[in-house]
Amino acid sequence: MNCNEAHGQLYSFIDGESHLVGRFRIRWHLRRCPPCGDGFRFEEALKLRIRQCCRDEMPPELPMRLMTFIHEHDSDGSVG
Amino acid sequence: MADQATFESDMTEILPQLYSAALRMTRNPSDAEDVLQEALLKAYRGYHTFQSGTNLRAWLYRILTNTFINRYRQATRRPSEVELGDLEDLYLYQRMGEPGPGGAERSAEDEALESIVDEDIKAALESLPENFRIPVLLADVEGFSYKEIAEMMDTPIGTVMSRLHRGRKALQKALWDFAEERGIAES
Repeated sequence: MNCNEAHGQLYSFIDGESHLVGRFRIRWHLRRCPPCGDGFRFEEALKLRIRQCCRDEMPPELPMRLMTFIHEHDSDGSVG
Repeated sequence: MADQATFESDMTEILPQLYSAALRMTRNPSDAEDVLQEALLKAYRGYHTFQSGTNLRAWLYRILTNTFINRYRQATRRPSEVELGDLEDLYLYQRMGEPGPGGAERSAEDEALESIVDEDIKAALESLPENFRIPVLLADVEGFSYKEIAEMMDTPIGTVMSRLHRGRKALQKALWDFAEERGIAES
């Protein structure tokens, strides 16, 4: 596997979506190619960072409002 | 079969996640609440069709995603089939992550990532066109698999992968642009 082939499978790899043999071949390449190894680690860290900071708090009174809405609208068949 | 009587308590844990996802989809709290209430009403009405023991979270995200797509397709009339230009692999790493001269003790990647402001990450995600924003949100923030995302978006898995991959690169470009504006990045 060369660097281009590794880059082509970057996202399947970090998403855990590549096959066992594919994962093995990529790991092998990353161990032998420090620039790719660093690049892949960067992408993994960025993905984690996105997960950690893209959540917002729900307004505390929202669940009550939503459930009231559901009970008011469930019977009349209209939405919104 | 799930029971409507337990709907409210079954939602307790997932509701904050759904709200946050709705907020990233719609990009403002009032639309997020509208989409979420419509999605929840659909979920409530269809709750008897949900098979207990299967993935409730994925079922709810599918309803939320569908509700959002239908609502906003109607609003904008044309689906946002915006194409993103082809960006190179490892876009942000090539610009921020490579070790500078002097050989810092801490890894250059960690420093680069720490220099990114949280608000910029949210803004970068929200800057993506809808077709790209949804797969990135569902994969990166919500942690769903390609197959689950394909089912939620009613799209072939190959399309999901291609949009996810291009969306991530576009997100990286947006992050880089923000970093430059803030003067963090020296280009």
